[in-house]
Amino acid sequence: MAEYREEHYDVNGIDTAVLTAGEGEPLVYFHGAGTVTGFDSMLPLAERFRLIVPLHPGFGASADDPSIDSIQDYVLHYLDLFDQLGLDELSLVSLSGGSYMAAWFSIYEAPRVRRLVLGAPLGLRIPEHPTVDLFSVPDAELLSYLTADMSVFEGKVPMPPTPEFLAERYRESTSWARVAWNRPYDIKLAKWLHRITMPTLILWGDADRLIPVGQASTWSELIPGAEVKILQGIGHLMFDESSEALDAVAEFVGEGAGVLTKES
Amino acid sequence: MSAPEDIKFYFFHHHHYSEIPPDEDKYESTMVDYPNALYDPVKGHELYKRHLRTVVLADELGFDGIAINEHHNMVYSMTPTVSVMAGAIVNATKQARIQVAGVPINLEYPNRVAEEYAMLDVMSGGRMEFAFPLGTGMEYWANAGTINPTTARARFRESLEVITKAWTQDGPNRHDGDFYTYRFLNPFLRPYQQPRPKCFIVGTGSKETVQLAVDYDMGYSIVFVPIANQLRAFNQMRELAAAKGREIDPDDLTVVVMAYVADTDEEAVREARPHIEKFFSWFHRVPPKYLVPPGYVTTDEFLRRVSDVAMAEGKKATWDDMVAIGRIACGSADTVADTIRQWCDEAGCARVNVVCELGDMPEWKTVKNMTKFATEVIPKLRAGGATVAAGDGREPAAAGVR
Repeated sequence: MAEYREEHYDVNGIDTAVLTAGEGEPLVYFHGAGTVTGFDSMLPLAERFRLIVPLHPGFGASADDPSIDSIQDYVLHYLDLFDQLGLDELSLVSLSGGSYMAAWFSIYEAPRVRRLVLGAPLGLRIPEHPTVDLFSVPDAELLSYLTADMSVFEGKVPMPPTPEFLAERYRESTSWARVAWNRPYDIKLAKWLHRITMPTLILWGDADRLIPVGQASTWSELIPGAEVKILQGIGHLMFDESSEALDAVAEFVGEGAGVLTKES
Repeated sequence: MSAPEDIKFYFFHHHHYSEIPPDEDKYESTMVDYPNALYDPVKGHELYKRHLRTVVLADELGFDGIAINEHHNMVYSMTPTVSVMAGAIVNATKQARIQVAGVPINLEYPNRVAEEYAMLDVMSGGRMEFAFPLGTGMEYWANAGTINPTTARARFRESLEVITKAWTQDGPNRHDGDFYTYRFLNPFLRPYQQPRPKCFIVGTGSKETVQLAVDYDMGYSIVFVPIANQLRAFNQMRELAAAKGREIDPDDLTVVVMAYVADTDEEAVREARPHIEKFFSWFHRVPPKYLVPPGYVTTDEFLRRVSDVAMAEGKKATWDDMVAIGRIACGSADTVADTIRQWCDEAGCARVNVVCELGDMPEWKTVKNMTKFATEVIPKLRAGGATVAAGDGREPAAAGVR
């Protein structure tokens, strides 16, 4: 199994950590609004691609920047970073809040994105299938909303949680609150999703308790030609739970060049 | 610190909703998400009448002032729009100054707060004072999401700037801020007291709020936090003010005291203790999550708090804990007077917010307590000498309850 190299870039004054593994065509992964489970589950993609996992400002090993307080700020941050990395063309894979960023990035910057995978995207307001507001969920129930398979937290969530662990969660929650406390959706997003013109895969677990799979059809209606793949029995943290999710990514981004070898 | 000659006593009244359901133990919180189906408007109506009666009595008994505050979504307070209650109190009272302490200004447009408060000051003929709170963490769960806790402190500072500008600079003015734009900041009503009523910042003693009080030339009114923290905050305020050439007057510093006066120390504890315990166990019941919404404090401050075992586990404070760390003066008139004198002495403050109705106290106890406080405690302190001189080494405070 490949390993990540961690490199740091000064992006417009923000110390930004970037994990990289593998060679080949660049595949950038935008993580969601928390980094508890880490990114080792994505590593099989490094067998086929140059896997690049930037940590968002205010998350994990990247520095805080209170002035990053909108999805658009994240998009502009990544334009800066990708310029530094020389990524003129890339495929973008994302999950949850990361998909919210990836969708807006692709709206603004369609020619730069070769293929797009939106995993359980946040960002639309769909009253028939409402997103659970993670800020309001009682602490004791929080993890159960994130996954259908609690074993994904083994060795990653100290029991009982240490003060340092809780403080890091508070920090990431603060970073996300800058963007999403006002509202965990963007009423403008639906209007502009038609600008996502590259081949797009919408990936969703049908056991997602946080962002219900019922939202998938709205996304596919709004993005021209988008494919939808539903993963049976899988919760929100699909890449931690299921190699099937990674296989779907590899197949879609690699344009049908077969599934990944199963190994870990 | 030397004891100020004249201590001012403000009758601080919470306006609790004091109906407690029989299945009280099943609720993890009496704030934010406590079901509002449990609010009975008919009982609420009776309670408003009782609260106003109580406040009017405080005026008649000669308290220097009446202080009221604002909270949302909680049994703790029936004054979520505190200025409405202030309007009623203005008309029902004659002498006392009235401190609205106050609207968490982030929850309103600052020009509205300036107008509302100026209106009260004019209506009352200049009896108003205002204390500005950032708002507890709970307010940010209970109010519109556009009031984002991650920007609470920056918004608070800008709101203070708008309000003081509206009051003290002739309009129309323009304001181009991070949060608010005013093309014509020109509220027609100006305060009765010129250039503006006396103001305080309400806080837990954080350096940020102390600095605000210094920067905006306001006093500081501290909430229920351990006494050691209060003293540290006041010292910091004196230092920060001195650096700007301002001397902090004892009249700029307010402490809050829970008091209960009876004929003997034993009787006072017996009568007050169950209600004080209920104050903490019911009226203050809140999960840690609601105290600190994301970004309300820094990550370092959050780490400090979760590292404190008692805070993190929501440990139930014992009676001894409460008396040891807080300002609970429970005893005979002599005991209470000595205790408060000593506290004012060591804090260098000349203002005391006295909470006389504690938790689910029945009206007769409130009336008895406040009457004894006004007629037996205040005269001892106003005269400038308590029965036992401060600094004679006698165990302070509530000696009878330890």
